[in-house]
Amino acid sequence: MNIIKKIDNWGTTSPNKIAYDYLGTTNTYADLKNYSDKLATYLNQLNLDTKNPIMVFGGQDFNMIATFLGIVKAGYAYIPVDTHSPVERLNVINDIAKPAACIAVEELPEGFNGLESLPIVDRAKLEDIFSNGDVIINEDKYVSGDDNFYIIFTSGTTGVPKGVQISHDNLLSFLDWMEKDFGIKEDVNCISQPPYSFDLSVMDLYPTLTRGGKLSVLPKETTDNFKELFATLPKLHANEWVSTPSFMDLCLLNPAFNEENLPELTHFLFCGEELTHQTAQNLHTRFPKGHIFNTYGPTETTVAVTQVEITEQVLNDYPRLPIGITKDDTKIVLLDDNLKEVAAGEAGEIVILGPSVSKGYINNPEKTQAAFIDFQGQKAYRTGDLGQFDDNGQLLYKGRIDFQVKLHGFRIELEDVDHHLDRVSLVSQATTVPKYDKNHKVQQLIAYVVAKENNFEDEFKLTQAIKKELNETMMSYMMPQRFIYVDSLPLTNNGKIDRKSLMKEVNK
Amino acid sequence: MKDTVLDILEDLTGSNEVKKDLDVNLFETGLLDSMATVQLLLELQTQLGVDVPVSEFERSEWDTPNKIIAKVENN
Repeated sequence: MNIIKKIDNWGTTSPNKIAYDYLGTTNTYADLKNYSDKLATYLNQLNLDTKNPIMVFGGQDFNMIATFLGIVKAGYAYIPVDTHSPVERLNVINDIAKPAACIAVEELPEGFNGLESLPIVDRAKLEDIFSNGDVIINEDKYVSGDDNFYIIFTSGTTGVPKGVQISHDNLLSFLDWMEKDFGIKEDVNCISQPPYSFDLSVMDLYPTLTRGGKLSVLPKETTDNFKELFATLPKLHANEWVSTPSFMDLCLLNPAFNEENLPELTHFLFCGEELTHQTAQNLHTRFPKGHIFNTYGPTETTVAVTQVEITEQVLNDYPRLPIGITKDDTKIVLLDDNLKEVAAGEAGEIVILGPSVSKGYINNPEKTQAAFIDFQGQKAYRTGDLGQFDDNGQLLYKGRIDFQVKLHGFRIELEDVDHHLDRVSLVSQATTVPKYDKNHKVQQLIAYVVAKENNFEDEFKLTQAIKKELNETMMSYMMPQRFIYVDSLPLTNNGKIDRKSLMKEVNK
Repeated sequence: MKDTVLDILEDLTGSNEVKKDLDVNLFETGLLDSMATVQLLLELQTQLGVDVPVSEFERSEWDTPNKIIAKVENN
């Protein structure tokens, strides 16, 4: 079944059903079909090259999801880019992905290098299309099969992000699993909190829209102001929760966040970073009847590929929670350095095979070849994560084999942060290390910096200046929380910066 | 009490600026973000036994070291 047709079907059979609720402003499935039909018609008339994707710049509002759907109806893949991105990030994505056009749901920042070279649909034009556009729909153009559906950019090790291409069938495999393994009903009301440029959002977006449910949006402006957040939550009447564990930790700070006050909330799905025993236990105590799911998977294999319900039994049996069992259509193998399967019960690199594995990174054959390998005749993705199966067949997460970390659910390559730091005019040399809490979660990124000679009166002023420069090139979630100034950085025997010794120092 | 609050802030922000300028705006300067604020509330709870009603938390009332100290003292 085509995903687009499945969502559209609700617009035909239940046109007045609410699809999207933005703090009380609602849109129906009929709106979603109508807006996306009109945008698709408009895009088709532009006769662009459909081999290239379309960039979408914006925040969390209904026009964004109507735009996503309009784009895939016209046969293009979309690249979601969040409003909080620095302009240089937009420029790099434009350079790499070579989009056919850009749809600016929010106003594009000055200095965007596509302003002259790309066809741009701005907000006024978009709203005009949504209100007055024609509808001439050709379903043959819909994205289907191996065509790209969306492309999400993640951190790369050299400062150059990588665009993960997710096809219609990759997404379909994910949606089939979401429908089968989590016991979530039709008509679900699901919170929608992560930004659309983060693939965790796909876990609330498409499973909800294909089952005719309602997305209750929690925009960043609301979640940043805790008072407003807690005033908003009970008004949503949500049944399903999708977030990072970090966001749940925030909510658990409020003792009134419990079953009694949020009786409709029954399903909790976590992804993006490790779900600690403490968080799950705390949540289970607050919502004794709730179903809590831990899931795991990289963006490259479409959101997530393993799940486990964290029951009382699991909490009793596992001091560090498992990441679950693999979905039906997918296989996980654990490999050693020579890409040979490890013996049963031993730890190895988690390698994923199956229909949700991406075709690779857009316009980046080198990185694609390094991460996507052939394993026994099948395409497989090397995650760089270490895993181990226990006697119950549960997969256990054992850390990274390289310098990638997760901070509040965001995937960050430490080398990428270093690269941005090195380019700052005030920095002579720098390296970034993670500081972990007692639950093995990254709590802070700490930058060790050898500064160039400068006239700043103190380190605080220097740090402010460095942060200001970094903000122009780097996503804000990658910003180190602490800056430590040193005369030199420790080196390994090979003369490379010894990140591991600094990691030991900050975590001793 | 005051010293403990400042130690917590210094540890979270990695900067002694919070001790030098008690009126520095923690959010505008990027010294604190949402997730660090969560850490702050947790530390206030574990180290000082101060239960901050997070449902009443307004950024504007907590945006400098002085304001935080006043909040904790009045708790």
